[in-house]
Amino acid sequence: MSTRLDWKWVPRGIALGILAFIIFGPLVNLLLWTVAERWYFPHVLPLKYGFSFWANVFSPRGNAMSSLGMSIFIAVLTVIVSLGLAIPAGYALARLRLPLRGLILLALLIPQAFPNLPVYVNIARIFYQYSLNGTILGVVLVHVTHGLVYAVWIATAAFSAIDRELEEAARSMGASALRGFFDVTLPIAAPGLLASAIFVFLESLDEFTGTYFVGAPDISTLPLLLYTAGSGGNYQIASITALILLIPSIAFMFVVERFLRSDVLSKVGH
Amino acid sequence: MKAKLIASTLVAGMFCTSLSAAELTVLTAGDQNMVDYVNEYLGPLFEKENPGTKVRVVGTGPGDAGSQKILERFEAQSKAGVEKWDADVAVVHEKFVGPMVEHKFLEAYRGKIPTGSLVTRENAKMALGANVDGYVMPMFNSQTALAYNPALVPNPPKSYDELVEFAKKNPKQFGYNGIKGGASGVSFVMGWLYAYGGGDAQKLMKGPFDPSEAKNWDKAFASLKEFTRNATLTPGNAGTLDMLSRGEIAIGPVWVDMFYSWKANGQLPPEMKLVLPAPGMPGQPMHYVVPAKSENKELAEKFVALATSPKVQAEGIVKRFNWYPGIDAQHVQESLDKETWQKLFTDISPEDLAKYGKPFPIAPYNNAILEAYERQVGN
Amino acid sequence: MSAKLETEVSHGWGGEGSPQTDAAAASLAMQADPQKAGAGRFVMSVQLLGFLLVAPALAIVVLLFIVPLISSITGAFEVDGAFSFGNFAKAFELYSSDMLFTLTIVLLSSGLICLFSIMIGGYLTLGSNPRAVALLRWIYRWPLFIPFIVVGQILRTFLAKSGLMNNIFIELGVLTPMSAMSFLDWRGIVIAFVWKQTPFVALLLSGAMASIDRSTIEAAQNLGANRLRILIEIVLPQVRTTLLVGLILSFVTMMSVLSVPLMINAQSPTMITANMAFRINAYRDYGVANALGLISLLMTSAVAWIYLRQTMREHSR
Repeated sequence: MSTRLDWKWVPRGIALGILAFIIFGPLVNLLLWTVAERWYFPHVLPLKYGFSFWANVFSPRGNAMSSLGMSIFIAVLTVIVSLGLAIPAGYALARLRLPLRGLILLALLIPQAFPNLPVYVNIARIFYQYSLNGTILGVVLVHVTHGLVYAVWIATAAFSAIDRELEEAARSMGASALRGFFDVTLPIAAPGLLASAIFVFLESLDEFTGTYFVGAPDISTLPLLLYTAGSGGNYQIASITALILLIPSIAFMFVVERFLRSDVLSKVGH
Repeated sequence: MKAKLIASTLVAGMFCTSLSAAELTVLTAGDQNMVDYVNEYLGPLFEKENPGTKVRVVGTGPGDAGSQKILERFEAQSKAGVEKWDADVAVVHEKFVGPMVEHKFLEAYRGKIPTGSLVTRENAKMALGANVDGYVMPMFNSQTALAYNPALVPNPPKSYDELVEFAKKNPKQFGYNGIKGGASGVSFVMGWLYAYGGGDAQKLMKGPFDPSEAKNWDKAFASLKEFTRNATLTPGNAGTLDMLSRGEIAIGPVWVDMFYSWKANGQLPPEMKLVLPAPGMPGQPMHYVVPAKSENKELAEKFVALATSPKVQAEGIVKRFNWYPGIDAQHVQESLDKETWQKLFTDISPEDLAKYGKPFPIAPYNNAILEAYERQVGN
Repeated sequence: MSAKLETEVSHGWGGEGSPQTDAAAASLAMQADPQKAGAGRFVMSVQLLGFLLVAPALAIVVLLFIVPLISSITGAFEVDGAFSFGNFAKAFELYSSDMLFTLTIVLLSSGLICLFSIMIGGYLTLGSNPRAVALLRWIYRWPLFIPFIVVGQILRTFLAKSGLMNNIFIELGVLTPMSAMSFLDWRGIVIAFVWKQTPFVALLLSGAMASIDRSTIEAAQNLGANRLRILIEIVLPQVRTTLLVGLILSFVTMMSVLSVPLMINAQSPTMITANMAFRINAYRDYGVANALGLISLLMTSAVAWIYLRQTMREHSR
């Protein structure tokens, strides 16, 4: 019995090992740059390690911590607003036969499909006109505009994958439409919806251009700090900021997973 | 109850903006060290001299893209009819000041500040053919040059002709980023046109713009295409420095300020050197500008006056970064000891700098050259 | 043989209830709902309700993006103030190879993402060894959290000729310094896209696969089908919608990324977004930039439309 198990671990181990190298190799690169003070050819690894760049990022005037807090706050708000808009919209597009369904879905795709660079001047103008510049509401709205692409499309897919018979079963037992939605439809669609929550959160956390045009200088988020360093080739600061950004992302995912596993999975026929 | 409390806090949070007491907002294009410069040095210095004020800085990214973002921000506010703009000082590349002046975004402040008379260089008055006199104060002057690895290139080429020879004998050892990723490649191409463009290089730099001049460039672009076949293409300013540091190329055009910053950050080996080839490569200043509708104009002017004072130029620009100062050299030199000043000229002597440091071509020629490159070399 | 397998399984899954079609179920809903009087009024108010549910989301996107987009796009059709297609002519003259390049790269990346995410999702759902499944689940998600600009940076130093990857291979003796290759061209872009987007689609897919009724899988296993067959013939058809949505969202994302081509690909041709940025930053030429953006939008819409037509066809069956 044990020899059979051992044999199967050979191809498994190789496949997992290759995957681990592919995924963690570039990440090791990231980690090395966070602690490298001197690193150039022909040295395979950094010559000198140190935390001086951490002191740089966390300098009192750099306000990395408050930017991080602001980023997380805005991301959470974005997720709430996006999902709040996407769940009814996704349900309507999946279940209720709207005549312009295709066109609506396409329209919602446009903020991501048209590369944003030429448009931001006009977006900023509209926000200035309505005095939304420099407000958290303004930044959340910009993030929601992009997040809705993911949220609505994924919600639509999640809802259309649910078999109607289950909803009909609930209805025929006397439940109202709303009750059927909350007790039957939503729990089954939950994995997809919560996955879209993760994506909207990540998208908002990494957003630079929109936040710059609508938020800066009053609203300071971490990508604003990351972008300059990243594009300029200041590897240490960019890597450190990316590492800092990793933490709320992974934490958010754990929270979502915990919620998914406990509440919802028990209701789905597993 | 708890959920309601959380919800109401979130909603309230959405509608608040941050309060400010005399706050000076600086937008700066350029690398991370430009942001750090204001955050770590200039900001605290200004706040000490003007108690009760706060300086905050927003970086918009390196290169032309960063300055373009600042220009777009001004455009958006202008079109929206905003009365009090949200930026007080902006640091932009030379290329973008012309359009800003043309659209009347800027305040003519140079005559009002004490340090205004300390700069007499031509590039504080004209920016790529546009008259910007009075609207700008140069923060520092940058120059492009060829960076090389002395171990791989014992006899660095001193002119474009020697470079072409070098590339033929050592294929793929020269790297530049074309024109799309960064301005170091652009300035290499401009230098090529100055050397081989057929007409008078001075006409390209000073004008007037004559569209038929483009016919003289065909031969130059043909030879550049040939040259590029022997060269490695790099992904941008940082890409060139990257490949240099990894030994994948031996020589390539870089911005002198970026070169020294990378050395200071430990990303480039200390052995790397610079050479400025004849007949010259372009350089450009970065300028301080003040929007006309800024909320804190007097404070902004004080800030720029401080930033361009001989003391700060000596301490901040030359000593800290090893960059060429924005105001005239003699004012800065007297505030420094000889050794620090000489460090500026370790690789490129003052005579070479004076002879081979050129301005960029005026804007119409600039665009025409870039488009011709796209058509003839890029495709 | 496969058709028989599928119908047997779906009948088993139908359970006690009646295997009704979508249309029949919908009419059942209409009749069973006690709140509405006439069927006609009911249909009307369902559509109204639908629009009301979609309206807020649509309003935000229209007001905050499409309206500024329209004022931006009119610039694409203007040359020196007059209506003209000159911008498009110039775009095609200078950048047609780049457009083809972009389309090829993104399609290739999408294909690879599809393949790898199916493999990952399939193993997570059908894998026999729980420890290996847990390990996989822990490993595959990390690239999700890295923003594209950081991906560009770390892959640039990882994939270069003397980058970390080649150095590791040389240390392990797999490569010699002579044979080390630089991946900093179109292959680097594909690698960056596949690396970052596969966990996205895989996460969606594994969620969808976990939601399907396991009795269909177990029924097939009892009938003696091997796992690969179950994956292709039972699981995949049920999660097709989610897979396509994930791929389209990835396609759209990849078409509009700027940082990766700028940081990794040095050569020409390059992607459309890099050219748009160049047009704006170097020439301040919004006309051609918008024309390029419109072309990019049309490419993406064409792909999305194919998917939408397919699902609409299913929807009305």
